[in-house]
Amino acid sequence: MKPAAISPGSSKGEQSKFKRLFVEIWKYRMTYTLLIPGLIWLILFSYLPMGGLSLAFKHYRASDGIWGSEWTGLENFMYVFRDPAFIDAVWRTLYVNIIKLFITFPFPILLALLLNELRMRRYKKVLQTAFTFPHFLSWIIVSGIIINVLAYDGFVNSLLALLGLPTINFLGSEQNFYPMIILTDIWKSTGWGAIVFLAAISGIDQEQYEAAQIDGATRMQQMFRVTLPNIMPTVTIMFILSVGGLMSSGFDQIFNLANAATQNVSQVLDVYIYRITFQSSTDFGFSTAVSLFRSLVNMILLLLADRAAKWMGGDGLFR
Amino acid sequence: MSTLARKTKKAKVGTSRMGLMDYIIFVILTLGALSILVPFWNVIMISFATQKEYAANPLLMWPKDPTLASYKALFADGSIGTGYWNTLKLMAAGLPLSLFLTVSMAYGLSRPKFPGKKPIFFLILFTMIFNGGIVPLYLVMRDLHLTGSLWAVILTGSFSVFNMILMMNYFQGLPESLMESARLDGAGEWRILASIVLPLAAPIMATIALFYGVAFWNSWYDAMIFLRKADQLPLQNVLRAIIVESQTNASNATSVGQGVAQSFSTGMKMAAVFVTMVPIMAFFPLLQKHFAKGVLTGAIKT
Repeated sequence: MKPAAISPGSSKGEQSKFKRLFVEIWKYRMTYTLLIPGLIWLILFSYLPMGGLSLAFKHYRASDGIWGSEWTGLENFMYVFRDPAFIDAVWRTLYVNIIKLFITFPFPILLALLLNELRMRRYKKVLQTAFTFPHFLSWIIVSGIIINVLAYDGFVNSLLALLGLPTINFLGSEQNFYPMIILTDIWKSTGWGAIVFLAAISGIDQEQYEAAQIDGATRMQQMFRVTLPNIMPTVTIMFILSVGGLMSSGFDQIFNLANAATQNVSQVLDVYIYRITFQSSTDFGFSTAVSLFRSLVNMILLLLADRAAKWMGGDGLFR
Repeated sequence: MSTLARKTKKAKVGTSRMGLMDYIIFVILTLGALSILVPFWNVIMISFATQKEYAANPLLMWPKDPTLASYKALFADGSIGTGYWNTLKLMAAGLPLSLFLTVSMAYGLSRPKFPGKKPIFFLILFTMIFNGGIVPLYLVMRDLHLTGSLWAVILTGSFSVFNMILMMNYFQGLPESLMESARLDGAGEWRILASIVLPLAAPIMATIALFYGVAFWNSWYDAMIFLRKADQLPLQNVLRAIIVESQTNASNATSVGQGVAQSFSTGMKMAAVFVTMVPIMAFFPLLQKHFAKGVLTGAIKT
């Protein structure tokens, strides 16, 4: 395809340009057939629902369907932004994910540093296996384990009682809900998160350590002056990427660890969307307006995270 | 060069004796690992203990008279068996479908050039950062008359742009001259994919198959949204009903009175957790290897 040879604007030139394009497309027809199955999937289950977001500006009536319902402009949004439960859910989501970000985030780095310092190589492998295992289980399985271990008469509380300490109502108290969420998140995801940092550590040039040893640096000093600065770029990128998930992460965990006693504090945005759509009244226009808000905020956060990661010299989300 | 340097460091480290710091690190890491292993151990042991023994001692680490009573009761109830069967159906249909969609599109996009490659790729990437969310997806599924059918769950889970890009990157690394010579012999792209590319792609196929396999095994949200009847639910949803939903009832019940008889004892619940977890445990060595590779080549470079 060389459009330069054709004088722009002349109808004959235009015609042969289209013809050439067509010939070119025909030449690659086999390649397009490779893309068709995947594209059909994306049209049906990604782009059609995206079009369905137009429902946010409509008054949904089951008889008219998504495409036939009557347009109402921003009416749904007026109701959404006046719903105190929605506002609460948004703030709660940000609150939970921000404290989670700051408390949970350092743990994988710490684990990677400690594992790196461990001198027993076999034991290191064993430990890593133990630490990464919970990552592969669904939050339903993990909740089953946690509900058992943290129950009022479970393992942890029995141990506390045995040691003469006061027992803690981990699961059924609004006050303890967020600490419990953070604790269990650390339990499940620290080992997996450490893998990225361990990889970054193994990429550090060994000569830096040798130079530090010649200068008489202790192992502590080597850890803080050589290892940590070298993995800082990875740390920054991982942090920025988790900022991208501020509005969306944690649903599986919160939904499965919540119960009747923690119904209010567990209502983050995704839980709110589930409840208004599938449990209480089904005003799909209203639900879709909330969905659209969520998708837009997510996209903006992701794009900002991507920009920031690139600005910090990383690869960003997409090359 | 650098591996040599690492080896000399390792040798040096091996000969020097353990200092105070090594002991501190050892203790911290061992305690951390125990905090993960003990809950699993506790769960498994409870599933093999009698209800009486567990009630007397929640710190159970080794049942005195191990019994399979919980497992017998669990399978007699039948819902776990149905869940297993539904999850197997989900994977039997979902895995081949997802591999077909992923491989064909990844190979198509790995072709060096064709008209419209850039815009098509952009439209595919765009679905990673923006989506309709669950509400319109539910309505679309309903319009397609798929709600209430396992196909809704199979189809929703059968394509992941992330996995497709991982595979595309692998295909792009294969020598183009192989495909070119087959093309000169008159082979079409599908033929080239089947007879030349796929035999070279065993490692990435294994990785992606495991990615989809674990995702299907662990999926529950789509099933909760799209399925209505209890006997259609996959294993995870059955487990959720046994553990999470019964817990909600139990905490309601305690406010009314303790007397509500629960159909599932703690032993049965823990047996259900164990039964759901066993396949992941069995495949774990494989999973660990392939997932680490995936996260390191994918999440950072993609």
